[in-house]
Amino acid sequence: MSMTRRNLLRTGWKIGTGFLTAIAGWTSWELLRPLAATSAGGKIKLGNSANFKPGTATYVREGRLWVANASGNLFALSQKCPHLGCRIPFCESSGRFECPCHGSVFDIGGEWIQGPSPRGMDRHPLTLDGDTLVVDTAKRIDGPDHGAAEHLTPAKGPSCAGKG
Amino acid sequence: MSERHSTARGALAERDALEPDVYPVTQGRLARVRGSELWRSVFRHPSLDTPRGRALQSFSNVFLHIYPVKVPARVLRFRYSWRLGYIATVLFAILVTTGVYLMFFYTPSVSSAYGDMQQLRTGVGFGQLVRNVHRWSAHLMVIVVIVHMARVFYAGAYKRPRQFNWVLGLALLAITLGFSFTGYLLPWDQLSYWAVTVGTNLVSYVPLLGKVLRDVLIGGEQIGQTTLLRFYALHVAVLPVALAMLLMVHIWRVRKDGFAVRRGGTGAFAEGASVVDVAGDGDGDGDEPVVLSPDATTDASTTDDRRVRLLGVVERESVTAPERLTDDTVFTWPHLLVRHVVVGLGVCATALALGVAFAAPLRGIANPAETPEPAKAPWYFVGLQELLSRYDPLVAGILLPTGAFVALLALPYLDRNPATEARNRRVAIVIFTIVLAVALVLTVIGVFFRGPGWKFIPPWHHSYVEL
Repeated sequence: MSMTRRNLLRTGWKIGTGFLTAIAGWTSWELLRPLAATSAGGKIKLGNSANFKPGTATYVREGRLWVANASGNLFALSQKCPHLGCRIPFCESSGRFECPCHGSVFDIGGEWIQGPSPRGMDRHPLTLDGDTLVVDTAKRIDGPDHGAAEHLTPAKGPSCAGKG
Repeated sequence: MSERHSTARGALAERDALEPDVYPVTQGRLARVRGSELWRSVFRHPSLDTPRGRALQSFSNVFLHIYPVKVPARVLRFRYSWRLGYIATVLFAILVTTGVYLMFFYTPSVSSAYGDMQQLRTGVGFGQLVRNVHRWSAHLMVIVVIVHMARVFYAGAYKRPRQFNWVLGLALLAITLGFSFTGYLLPWDQLSYWAVTVGTNLVSYVPLLGKVLRDVLIGGEQIGQTTLLRFYALHVAVLPVALAMLLMVHIWRVRKDGFAVRRGGTGAFAEGASVVDVAGDGDGDGDEPVVLSPDATTDASTTDDRRVRLLGVVERESVTAPERLTDDTVFTWPHLLVRHVVVGLGVCATALALGVAFAAPLRGIANPAETPEPAKAPWYFVGLQELLSRYDPLVAGILLPTGAFVALLALPYLDRNPATEARNRRVAIVIFTIVLAVALVLTVIGVFFRGPGWKFIPPWHHSYVEL
């Protein structure tokens, strides 16, 4: 194809329009994308690790997480259900986490027992600073896959589902 | 001065001369006002009860010229289209009107949004009613748009030459759902917070980009101030403009592609018309571009009872030069417009009656630390939630709904059967009906039969319906 003035202009328009569209798309994306700094949390001191007794789950409102003691093993478990993001309450009577939205049930260690959740409850890394337990809410580790049964214990009692 | 005056009078006299017998005689005060130059400068012609006057009513009015001057007579029958597209448009108008009113009393801030809703209920004149009408109209619009789509499918009206209008209609359906979903969050109560939490988390199952897309949508990891502002901006600025633009094109295409399919005909051409067979080979497909003499385009009063219209010099495939009987059509004004006004009033009355009878729900203020039981997505996504509670999230949450939507988009291009009658397109109708029925059953189960823990609880035992 010979490069006439008309062809040159036509091609120029197409390249220019494509370039502008790409720039507009990229800048819009950058504008709307949440920055990592604003979405990530930080380190939270949870106090003495001995405060968290075996078989209990303590809610930490600041970090929107549970600190659960599964037979001496401490876990910081995200309150957010891996299924569709509902907050998972701890059921004292059964000793398990029971999601009110779609009925996913997790062991006290956050391992999946039943329901539509694709995995166990997500975890945050816990460290010890002397006797003080510290949780890093900026980091989140995907919960264990189905079938993990490291800390699985039978239910203590009746389920809370359906009690409002 | 006198020269200018006489020139103006001369122009009026010339205009009067166009309709010397029917031009209203200026008698009485009102008639004198209507005959004045000021009146005529605003209303370009009088309201004449003649064919020309009726044509001018829609033709020369900026708001009405979206209508054609004449429409096929069968369009007047209510059962012809159930007026569903028009009803959806009226509902959109109600939503814009009530929405603007609500904007005067609402701040998109997590600290004040819920308080604004309470204030609207108790401290603003007709505030509760306007909010009720807004909410029920929004739900009605989703229903009407879906039923509209189903009717168009069953009528086979998505077929050539209306394929693209079907695609536009689906885009409008998606925008309607977007409208309803973004509006759902704005009251910032427990119902809205958790319904939107569940709804937005569906996005995170998109392969590879899911989490990033969800974060862009809600502006972070958690639903919060950023989400509320984003949804508000989408709800009151982005989506209305998008819907208005697409709606214009949609209605424009309804006119340009022809109103609807003739019963028993094929979907190829508009208004039950046959094509002028220029080639004269009897196959009716117009082998050559239609070229009409200037006389044929300007002189409507041809000697026989047929009219030919040149729509434009376009490619052979697109030419629809209808050959039709003159008595096949009626004037839009008053026949169609009167019916539209009646239906529009009916829609307004229905929305108002719903608003008076049922209050829009407002639960406690949004609390990220407590999920209510049950937490349901908005009703039009509950079918999806029902699927997700049973099957793999990737399949149930993404592949199935996306696949169904893409299949609907591609439908007019995949369905090569030109027939529009049900008896000649049984396979398509059976497949569509099954998909529609499954979606309906899943939605009904999710809305009416699901309780805490997503347990199956019949509504006659306890109702957990969330609207």
